[in-house]
Formats: sequence, structure tokens, C-alpha cells
Amino acid sequence: MNTDERTEGFEKRAREVFNESVAALDARTRSRLNHARQAALDELRTPQRRTWRGWAPAGAFAVAILAAVLLLRAPDDATPPQVAEGSAADVGVVEIVASGEDLDLASEDLEFYDWLARQPDAVRNGNG
Amino acid sequence: MASSDTVPVQPARPEVAVTVDREEVCLDESETLDRFLAGVERRAFRIAEMAVRDRDDALDIVQVAMLRLARNYAARPSEEWKPLFYRILYNGIRDWQRRRTVRSKIFGFLPGSRRDDDEEQDDPLERVSDGAPDAVRQLMTGEAMKHLERALDLLPARQREAFTLRCLEGMDIAETATAMGCTAGSVKTHYFRALQTLRAQLGEVW
Repeated sequence: MNTDERTEGFEKRAREVFNESVAALDARTRSRLNHARQAALDELRTPQRRTWRGWAPAGAFAVAILAAVLLLRAPDDATPPQVAEGSAADVGVVEIVASGEDLDLASEDLEFYDWLARQPDAVRNGNG
Repeated sequence: MASSDTVPVQPARPEVAVTVDREEVCLDESETLDRFLAGVERRAFRIAEMAVRDRDDALDIVQVAMLRLARNYAARPSEEWKPLFYRILYNGIRDWQRRRTVRSKIFGFLPGSRRDDDEEQDDPLERVSDGAPDAVRQLMTGEAMKHLERALDLLPARQREAFTLRCLEGMDIAETATAMGCTAGSVKTHYFRALQTLRAQLGEVW
């Protein structure tokens, strides 16, 4: 018997042993394999359900990302700058104080400013 | 004038015929795939079981391979199914082995994390075949299969795949190359080396 024949004999023996081990599978395993096959075939028979389910995780992920973005951005967007009426005058006062301008001038001419305040608008605007 | 404004109407019968044809194609495809899977499922299960040494995990791997074939490759010509199926199956086996390696590295130090081989054995009565030829023959085959499994375990993974697909599954070199994702030359090399090693180990036992 040459090498090729011995090799063929070995291959044949290996196949026989394997085939017999396959044939000797118990009924429970065969039944479970049958169920697995039917599940796979169901997948093939209902392609439209598969398509919808295929997109479901991606949709859920997109919704989650959108919700997270909205939640993170919500505090900034919900508090727009509040501008109260008459705030321009307050801003002016703040600017004067912040600029460090010398306020002694105002205290020296208090009488003048008091007189000016009591004058009609036309005089104050220099039209009188 | 009137003829230029008329919209061409699709005849109803051909549409119905096309719909029926599609359903028939789907049914044919489903039946063909059913026959194919029925033909390979037990062999695929034994191959997976030899690789992972766990019946439940082997069943899971085979089920996933069936699902993936049905989902992704059912429309391909049925001649391509076999190498594709075994490629998916071996990918599943490799994933399982990678997960097991990672799990053993992470949890290996915990007490009770390693299962004894004896604990993995199920009730032997469950494994008795319904159609066994006879007890002595089954016993002898079982012993021979154990020797083969042990010898296969010692082979490098690629040699084991080449031997399993070429010899046990009877696939030709081109199909084996597709299933293994390598060239025909690599298949020949892996198979030759596997055969040499196995013959050296089992020659006397068999």
C-alpha cells in the first residue's frame, strides 16, 4: 500500500467516523436544530418586518442623540437676555460709575442743575 | 388628437402574473434554503461542538449562521451557499473563542469561574441516538471520534478548518478557499500539513 492509498484510507476512515457521529445525534438536539432552521426561514419569508426592525436601533439611537442635544442646549436657550424697561438709564449710571469719572463737578454746580431741572423743556433744549 | 392624449394603461393580467411569479420565487427560494439548511445543520452542529466543546453554545453558533445566511445571502445562487454558510459558521466559532479568551482573562481569577470538563457533560441518556445501528458499533465510533477530536484540537486553527472542510465536509479546494477566506494554495498547504500530523497521531490508534 503506497502513501496515496494510505492517505485515502485515512481520509475515508475520518469521514466515516464523522458521519456516524452526525447520524448519532440525539432527538433533542435535532429538534432544536429544526427550530433554529425554521426561525431562519421565517426571517426570509417576512422581509418587510426585517427591514423595519433593521432600522429600529438606528432610529432609537438618533432619537436619543437628539434628546441629549436638546437637554444640553436647553438652559442656554431658555434664558434669553432680559432687558427691562428703563434699563438704558441704569446702564448709563453703571457706565459713569465704572468709568471712574470725577463726580465733584456735579456737586459743585448743584444749584445750577437744580435750576435747570425746574426750567421748561424748551429752555433746557436751548430753544427759548 | 384623441390618441395623443390617451395615457397608456397597463394591462392588469401581467401585473398579477408578476406578483405571483415573485411569490413563487420567494417560495422556491425558501424551500431550496430549507433543504440546504436541513442538509448541513447537523454536520455544522458537530463541527461547532468539536470547536467550542459546549452543546448550547454550538447550537447558538449554528442558529446565528443560519439566520445570517437567510438574511444576507439567500438571494445568491444556491451553489454559493455552502462555502458562505461555513464561512459564517467559522466566523461565529472564532468570535466565540475570542469572547471566551477575554472572559477567562477578566474573570479567570475568581473562584468557581473555571468549569470542570466533567461538569460540562450533560446527562448521557439524553445523548443516546434514536437511530443508532448498534451499541458496540456506536461505542467504537464514539471512541474513534474522541481520538479524532483530540488530535484536531492540537492542530493550528487554520489547519483544523482546512481538514474539516476538505475531508469531513467533502468540499473541493475552491469552496474551501471561499469558506476560509484564503487562496487555493493556502488551503492545499494547510490541508497537507493537517493530514500529515493527524496521520502521525492517529495512524496506529485507527
